[in-house]
Formats: sequence, structure tokens, C-alpha cells
Amino acid sequence: MKEIKFLLAVWKANLLSVMEYRVSFITQVLGMMLNDFMYFAIWIIFFDRFKDVRGWGVSDMYITYGVLASAFGLVSLFLGNTFTLSEIINNGRLDYYLSLPRPVLLHTVSSRMVSSGMGDFTYGFVSYALSGQYTWDGFLRFILATFLAAVVFASFLIIVGSLAFWFGIISNLTNLMVNAMITFGIYPTTLFDNYAKLILFTIIPAALMGAVPAEFIMEFTWGSLAKLCAGALIFLFLSIAVFYTGLRRYESGSAIQVEI
Amino acid sequence: MKSFKKYWSIFRITLINSLAYPGELIGRSLLIIPFMWIFYQLWKITFEAAGTVSINGMTLYSTMWYLMMAETIELSRPALARTISENVKDGSIAYILNKPYSFLLYQFSNSMGETIFRALTNALFGSVVVWWLVGPPPAPLGWLFALITIFGTWVLNYCITCLIGLSAFLVEDVSPYMWIYQKLVFILGGFLIPLSFYPPWLQTIAKALPFAAMVYGPSQLFVTPSLELFVNVLLMQFIWIVILGSTLVFSYNRGVTYLTVNGG
Repeated sequence: MKEIKFLLAVWKANLLSVMEYRVSFITQVLGMMLNDFMYFAIWIIFFDRFKDVRGWGVSDMYITYGVLASAFGLVSLFLGNTFTLSEIINNGRLDYYLSLPRPVLLHTVSSRMVSSGMGDFTYGFVSYALSGQYTWDGFLRFILATFLAAVVFASFLIIVGSLAFWFGIISNLTNLMVNAMITFGIYPTTLFDNYAKLILFTIIPAALMGAVPAEFIMEFTWGSLAKLCAGALIFLFLSIAVFYTGLRRYESGSAIQVEI
Repeated sequence: MKSFKKYWSIFRITLINSLAYPGELIGRSLLIIPFMWIFYQLWKITFEAAGTVSINGMTLYSTMWYLMMAETIELSRPALARTISENVKDGSIAYILNKPYSFLLYQFSNSMGETIFRALTNALFGSVVVWWLVGPPPAPLGWLFALITIFGTWVLNYCITCLIGLSAFLVEDVSPYMWIYQKLVFILGGFLIPLSFYPPWLQTIAKALPFAAMVYGPSQLFVTPSLELFVNVLLMQFIWIVILGSTLVFSYNRGVTYLTVNGG
């Protein structure tokens, strides 16, 4: 309860901070929504020409893209520092969070809000509404699936970022992994063979951020819900374990850091 | 000649500098490997589903090599708009403006120096993967035509990104304009889907705009080189370089009059 209050206070401060530059905030939100729509337009062109890829049509792509965008937006909005965790570790900026009486990981990752995330988050819902498969129970599943996909994505980013405790500068790897998650996440799992599927559920869990949540939204099955919940829980625990194991190796110089 | 030597030196310094961190260079280029692999999965299934080996003159082989070239072009672009907009916003542009060189040519030489090795490593990794997946690269004539037209692509890209960066004189944040530019390249440039697969009306629109001359042109020339297409791409690049280049020079001259730098 105490931690929830703390999180709400951090998020409120983040929101006030990004709203300080209102024009920039609105430009970023609208710009990101337009950006998402334009990116999706490629798939509209593709399915207009080829109609179907192993049972996956444009309507299914709307849902997959929607849940992926909303999950990405949710993480950008509420856990914005997950994208830059490796830089925070390398630059010794964890000192600030370590000196405060709050959970280090939670405080670190929640201390930044990426304005454009609001555009992604909102666009995801628009995409779902446009899919032609909208139902009220589907909408509730969309919300749940977005949340679970966001947990997987944030946990994955924390695991990758925490590797900086062992390997130092890994910003390239972080970018590579974020891009891989987004790129692979939008494709249906039917596209891949069994070895590739294994990778997409484990090393790069993109299937748990795009295709599996989309299947769950389209049709409720205990199997897909179990996959999503198990994936989110496993990756969450793994991320906490990796971060705190790495934290024991953390060293910082005498640089003065200012966190605003 | 003296003036050319000055910019050649800036180009050389950035070029050498880009080799100072080979790990960084290779790390960036690794991204092309998963992209090519996923494209292969998608297009292999698409061609199988269509029940044909050739769609609008493109085979799986030519599609994959086309996409390799398109990816190389896109992934090699330097983040020039962000650099210029930061220069404008934090006032560090003043350090460049008071030097004895043109700001625009300085940025051009700089961005060229950043692009060359990035393009080479992307092409290398991309080619290895695509070679392994579909077979050896197309005929050498394609390489030659692509190489010549890619230079035009870089000039066009420089004009557009520089214009976006300089818009920081007027707007707080240029990143939305960068995202939209990137998506225009994706859609109208034929970056993710070759333009040959588009409906004819959209092909006509796309081919009249600079984005097709930037990605589709060099990539298509790479897989199916023809003198007619080569001349056409060069002509489109020339027209758009004149239009965008003039707009850039005009905007820069106007922008500098807005500039106010406080402190130092």
C-alpha cells in the first residue's frame, strides 16, 4: 500500500513535469499517434495485396498492433527509465536512488515519463476499435492483455538493462533488443518454425507482447491466459532477481549527479 | 579548391572518428540480421500462399536483395535532425556559426562521414544473411547503379533531415516530424514492401515524390538494373535535390535571423 502511494506520487510529479511543456507534450502525443497510423498503413497495403498470411488477416493485425502499441505506451508512460536503465547504471546515477529509503528498482524505473507514450497507449485502443472485432468482453480482455504484455516488456527491458552491471556499456544491445521486441512482436507466431517460436517465448519474448495477447483478445482460452500470466510472472521475478544480483556489483565514481 | 579541402578534411575526420569505436559500429549494424531473417519468413510464406514464384516481376530472391539494399539505406542514416535541433536549442550552434565555414556544408560533410562505414557494415551483414538465405547477390551492374544513386539518396536525406532539424528555430520539439518523415520513407519509399507490390494509383503517387527516389530507386536498380530506370531515378533525384536544397538554403538564412543565444 505504501509503495502504491509512493508510485502514485512519483507518477503525479512526472506528469506535472512533462505538462510543463504543454505544446511539446501535445505535439509528441499527436505526432506519435500519426506515426503509429502511418506505420500500420504499410500493413493495410500488404494485406490489400496478399489478403492472408497463414490465417492472419488485416483485422488480426489491427489487434496485434493495438495491444503492442498500448503495452509499449504504458511502459513509456509509467516506467520510462526502463529504456535507459543501462545508461543510469553506467553513469553512476543509481547513487541517487540508493540513498533514498524506497525500493531502488521501482523508484529508478518509474522516475521518468516519456510523453510520446501517451500517443502509443491511446493509438492501441483506436487500433482495437478499428479491427472490426470489437466486443465488450474483448475490450476487457484488451485491457488485461495490455497490462500483462506491458509487464513482460518492462521486465525484459530491466533484464537487458541490468546486464550493464556485468558488461558495462550496452546501449547498442538495449536498442537492438527493443527493436527486436517491436519488430518480432507484430508478426503472427504462425510465421515462424518451432525453433524461432522457442526464441520468441524466451530470449526475446516478443510473442508474449504481440501475438499471444492478440489471440487472447480475439478469443478467450484458458491456455492463452495461462501463457500470458505465467510469462508476466516469470519475467517479472526474473527481472527483479537479475537487477538485485547485479546491484551487488554496482560501483560508482565521485561524479556529482543531479536528478530533476 | 581550398574551400573543398576544408570540407574534405571535416569529412575525413568524421569518417576516421566513426572507426574509433568498432564495437559500436558493428553493434549498430547487427540489427539488420534479425530484420532480414524476419523478412525472409514473411515473404517466403507470402510467395508460397500466392502459389507463384514471381509477383509483379519480383521473385523471393529479388525481393530479399531489394529489402537488403533498402534496409542498408535506412539503417545508415545519421541522426542529423536531432543533432541540429539540439545545437539550436542549447545554443551550441553559435560555436559552429562563428567558424570560417558554411554551417550547411559543415553538417553535410559531417553526416557523410558518419554514413559511409555505417552503410558498409550494414551492407556486409545484410548481404551475408541474404546470401545464406536466398543465394548470391545480383549482377555487378546493379551494384554500380545502386552505388551511384545511393549518393543522391544521401543528399536528399541530408536536405530533409537538415530542414527538420532547423525547424527547431520555430518549434519546441522536432521528434514528431522525424517520426513522420521516417514513416513517409517506409510507405512511399517502398522500404518494407517493394513499390512493385503496391496498387498502381499508389505507385504513381509514390514515384512522383522524393521518397521513392531515395529507397525504391537504388534498391530496384540493385536487383533489376536498367538504363531507363537509372536515368529516371537520377532525374527525379536531381529535381528533388534542387527543390529541397533551395528550400534548405532559404530556411537556414531565415532561421539564423531568429536565433538568439544567451550566455556562453
